[in-house]
Amino acid sequence: MNTELQNFIEKYDLYGCIQCGRCTGGCPVTVRTNLNVRRFVYDSIDEDALEELAKLPEIWDCTACSTCAVRCPKGLKPLEVLIGLRGILVLEGQVEPTVRDALESIFREGNPWSKARATRSDWMEGLDVKVADPETEVENLIFVCCTVVYDPRVQVTVKNLVKILNKADVDYAFVGDDESCCASEAFNLGEEELFEMMVEDNTELLNSFKAKRIVTISPHCFNAFKKQYPDLKAEVLHYTQLIGELLEDKKLEFTKELPQKIVFHDPCFLGKQNDVYDEPRFVLSQIPGAELVEFERNKERSLCCEGGGGKMWVESDSKLERLAETRVKDAHALGADVLAAACPFCILTLDDALKAKGFEEEMKVSEILEIIGDLLEE
Amino acid sequence: MNTFVCVKRVPDTSEAEVKVDATEKDVDSSKFSFDINDADNYAVEEAVQIKEAQGGTVQVLCCGPQDADMMIRMALAKGGDSAMRIDDPRINFSDPLQVAKVLAAAIKEQEYDLVLTGCWADDDGFMAVGVALAEELGIPHAAMVKKVEVEDGKVKAHRELEGGISEVVEITLPAVLTIQTGINEPRYAPIRGIRQAQKKELKVLKLDDLGISEEEVSEDSSLIELKRFYIPEVESKAEIIEGEPEEKAEKLAEKMVKGGLI
Repeated sequence: MNTELQNFIEKYDLYGCIQCGRCTGGCPVTVRTNLNVRRFVYDSIDEDALEELAKLPEIWDCTACSTCAVRCPKGLKPLEVLIGLRGILVLEGQVEPTVRDALESIFREGNPWSKARATRSDWMEGLDVKVADPETEVENLIFVCCTVVYDPRVQVTVKNLVKILNKADVDYAFVGDDESCCASEAFNLGEEELFEMMVEDNTELLNSFKAKRIVTISPHCFNAFKKQYPDLKAEVLHYTQLIGELLEDKKLEFTKELPQKIVFHDPCFLGKQNDVYDEPRFVLSQIPGAELVEFERNKERSLCCEGGGGKMWVESDSKLERLAETRVKDAHALGADVLAAACPFCILTLDDALKAKGFEEEMKVSEILEIIGDLLEE
Repeated sequence: MNTFVCVKRVPDTSEAEVKVDATEKDVDSSKFSFDINDADNYAVEEAVQIKEAQGGTVQVLCCGPQDADMMIRMALAKGGDSAMRIDDPRINFSDPLQVAKVLAAAIKEQEYDLVLTGCWADDDGFMAVGVALAEELGIPHAAMVKKVEVEDGKVKAHRELEGGISEVVEITLPAVLTIQTGINEPRYAPIRGIRQAQKKELKVLKLDDLGISEEEVSEDSSLIELKRFYIPEVESKAEIIEGEPEEKAEKLAEKMVKGGLI
């Protein structure tokens, strides 16, 4: 028995669990997979069973949405038991090729998408972008996120953010070429030591700038920086919080009308994990002509889109309806013109679901930055 | 079973725009990512799996610059025991025969049963180093191997031929096998393994250390001279079909029917 397995009980406080089952009761993926997180917490007490438990495919169904942790009356994080089991396979090198490629890419190129580090700032071409210089003080240091940088579907979000920051004359600068993955997904895929290495490197990099605040585009970077980067000097914000401030201070105003019905989907890493519920809604509420509606399951009860927890690189065996499809159907039933979110993973999963459901003609999936970037006076 | 596995660091050009540089003797690699050659990665996995099943050692061998060390460490993390990297400005990397000569010099004085290489390199696509290496070592080889069965003093190598046919050859060891992708599923090299692999030996050698003279390996002694790279001109026959996806599909289908393709 190696020490890794012996530490399992202590690391995840397994004896702290009272087996009440609120974790499994609240787990959103149970409607489409066999995952029973309570059972994994219980079974993991037997150190000799861990290797076998790690072979069960359900451990990869968890989206790390954290509903189980939010609901646990004992303050445990049941999902991390699943992440720990994934870690056993990671140390053996026995993970899905897609997971292997994502992790190796984070290690080699600083992003999980197997893209060249040298092209990280290519999105800036032709834009008036301020890039940070370690010698100059800056109020808002912008951290973009690998998915936003490299994925053509969501790259528009950062381009629009630049437009907004310039328009509102914000004191900002982007991290630039040296930016690397926050490694939130490496953690969730069970590669803890890669995560720790990235935390160390990123903390050194981000602290090398004289920045008061770090502003992230993705809630996944936001959550990681807030909760898993203990030595970051600057305050961490999500961009919806910054835009909210600008609107409140009248530094930014949406001048064009958008007479559409918008429903906001709470990203798990922004909402239920960090209680940022009001700012995205406030930003959307400032759009002239727009009507905001709510999902029946909203805020802390929001339904996960299944984009987190490393799920961008792991396909579930389940053939049942994806949660993102359920979400899109619910938005459609509300008569929404726009299903808005503030997270690149949510946008990618919801947009796929929109196509799968064939609602493209009637409804759009849009990042908040995508919507508001077009509402500024030229 | 003592195995040498040869690896090369290559650029990933699958998505990058490839531009020829001003010398016309190289491409601008400033926007590329680099990694282990794909087929070599499968060769490493095969070598490690053979070691796990049969015992013995795996030595990683590379001709290339210091930038290749991370890739070598990753191969060591997966189960390699030690590594050698030969780095010398005298090597003409455009000449697979020269590269084979250098690799052979590193291998031949040692005890070994098997030498694995990838079946081709993603950058130059010569498909020659492995086969030339067998010639230099004076041992048999099998190329494009999709399955290896180790037997006493021999291997059965399943080779992939055109048209989906497999050929099985029995080869007496020692032998060189050039490994085709898909033979296995390469494992992940965890960070812990890469850190532990820092303790494994990685010897960096010059051609003089291997006793290779200037007459044998140098730019002048090479039989191959790289003349130039160029991007082929777009042929006037190339046609871009415009329109909505449905229209495009219809036009394309029409052309294929007219041209007798379907």
